[in-house]
Amino acid sequence: MASPIIQLKNVTKEFKVLNRHEGLAGSIKDLFSQDYKIIRAVDNVSMDIMPGEIVGYLGPNGAGKSTTIKMMTGILKPSEGTIMCNGVVPYDKRTQNAQNIGVVFGQRSQLWWALPAIESFNILRDIYQIEEKKYKDMMNLYGSIVDMDALMHKPVRQMSLGQRTLCDILASFLHDPAVVFLDEPTIGLDVAMKSKIRELIKMLNKERNTTIILTTHDMGDVDALCQRIVIIDKGKMLFDDGIDKLTETFGAYRTLSLSLLSKKEKADEARMNELVQKVTDVLGSNISDKNAFTVSSRDDQIEILLDEKKTNVMKVLNYIQDESRIYDMHLNEISTESVIKKIYEGGLS
Amino acid sequence: MSIKKYSSMIRAGILDALQFRLALIVTTVGNLLYLLLIYHLWKAVFASADSPVVNGMTFSDTMIYLVFASSLMNFMEMWVVWFMGRSIQSGEIACDLLRPISYRSWRFFDGIGENIVKFVTTFLPTAIVVFIVSKGAIKLGSNLLFFVFSAGLSLVINFYINFMVGTICMYTDTIWGINIMKVVIVELFSGATVPIAFFPDSIKQIVLLLPFQTIVNTPLQLLLHPEFSLMERFTMLAPQITWFVILFFVSDWFFNISLRRITVNGG
Repeated sequence: MASPIIQLKNVTKEFKVLNRHEGLAGSIKDLFSQDYKIIRAVDNVSMDIMPGEIVGYLGPNGAGKSTTIKMMTGILKPSEGTIMCNGVVPYDKRTQNAQNIGVVFGQRSQLWWALPAIESFNILRDIYQIEEKKYKDMMNLYGSIVDMDALMHKPVRQMSLGQRTLCDILASFLHDPAVVFLDEPTIGLDVAMKSKIRELIKMLNKERNTTIILTTHDMGDVDALCQRIVIIDKGKMLFDDGIDKLTETFGAYRTLSLSLLSKKEKADEARMNELVQKVTDVLGSNISDKNAFTVSSRDDQIEILLDEKKTNVMKVLNYIQDESRIYDMHLNEISTESVIKKIYEGGLS
Repeated sequence: MSIKKYSSMIRAGILDALQFRLALIVTTVGNLLYLLLIYHLWKAVFASADSPVVNGMTFSDTMIYLVFASSLMNFMEMWVVWFMGRSIQSGEIACDLLRPISYRSWRFFDGIGENIVKFVTTFLPTAIVVFIVSKGAIKLGSNLLFFVFSAGLSLVINFYINFMVGTICMYTDTIWGINIMKVVIVELFSGATVPIAFFPDSIKQIVLLLPFQTIVNTPLQLLLHPEFSLMERFTMLAPQITWFVILFFVSDWFFNISLRRITVNGG
């Protein structure tokens, strides 16, 4: 078994922030305040990442994702615990570590704004001291994946967001780093561009066996790219395993969609809320475990999220049919997105 | 190979600056207006004086000095403080901290290309015009060599001062006030707006001890006084070299402790 390329051991990061007061008087008071509070952004996180893995690093906003990435890249130093990245302690040898990693931070471009992309690539070649042959090979590889001619001769500031992201990702892989950190790479992109970027990341990972740490809020990215996901919330690690284990770990969930209204009836908000309440009451009086189901409405459908470990679909249908007529029904496997949404909302931990 | 790292960045800076040719024209016009202003200002100063020589300088000496001083300042103008302030505020500094080159070197080589462009497009033409108009008032010889060497040091010293002011932004999160203060101090104490010879004696003694005068005063004295002996020249250069060495270490140290404060306490 290969040794991990990135290793986090009991990493904790605390920030000291000033307790701010409201209003003008409060702000003036803050000028002299020594009233600090400690915020624990990352709390005892450990993980091993193997070479060539694509790891999806997920969590709601403010969960501590960026802080972890910043520690892995060496910008921040953990308060406790240790990190090894490719045999280097990143926060002690930041500049040396930078030679071995590639980074794309959301919508911030690291390319030279006013220059055509090819100039940026040439500068990066010199800065990272990439050998001429390696550089040519890489450019040939890029050429086989994307239409480089259309991209390379346009000044970066005139590019669309999608083209710029594409260039930024290509730039981050240029010096053939062992690890690439992609922080929300598909944010703000259209559907076609998203899938293009996912293809690109997948190809580069396969061709160069690059380890990729990906943070995103788009479950499409996760489904398309990651074999493994790590979920973090309020600094604590909630899940670290294969994406296929996700549903297993968090219950066997399925979504049951029901049409309880005939075509003639109008499905306005009040009516739907009434139905949601009715179904909740019916199920509540029959099923003792309140965590077994969640009722919501979508358009003219009633959606029931079921944990099949605790109850089953046929029973639920029976209970409802006793009370109301069912015009139509669908049964769906729960999507990754819904599971993660439930985890974020705290229903499953 | 490692020189290529830096030369490549300088080249990028030159290319970058050349993209904005209109900005160069506007700077040149602005500079000309400034020169017109100081011409009339100093004409009035000399008209009200009793003798044609004030503080050891004639009107034409003063004008030549000020024209050079303003174009020297112009070519050494840097955006480091603005840039650092903005990237610290927005957190964009994270990207530049992840380059395989130290942050200070990155800022320096990223910006220096523009200074080189400005040297060629504004300083050189101004110098040539002054030589022609003053009809050989300035003798050229070994003084030119000393000037070029000294101006190079000035550029780096000016950068270190700017870099340190930019570092202060890590504490204050704002740039405007600090930058204005820096501009005023550098303009005044470097001898860019008023020749050091015009300062009252007590203040002059202090100013000559500060690093700022080495930015404009030192290289210009070396250029405009070809009669200086070798000994006198090295005496002029000594404080400049000393300040260069001090600031080299201090700016690095100051940035690193400030950065550590951020990386340890967060920000």
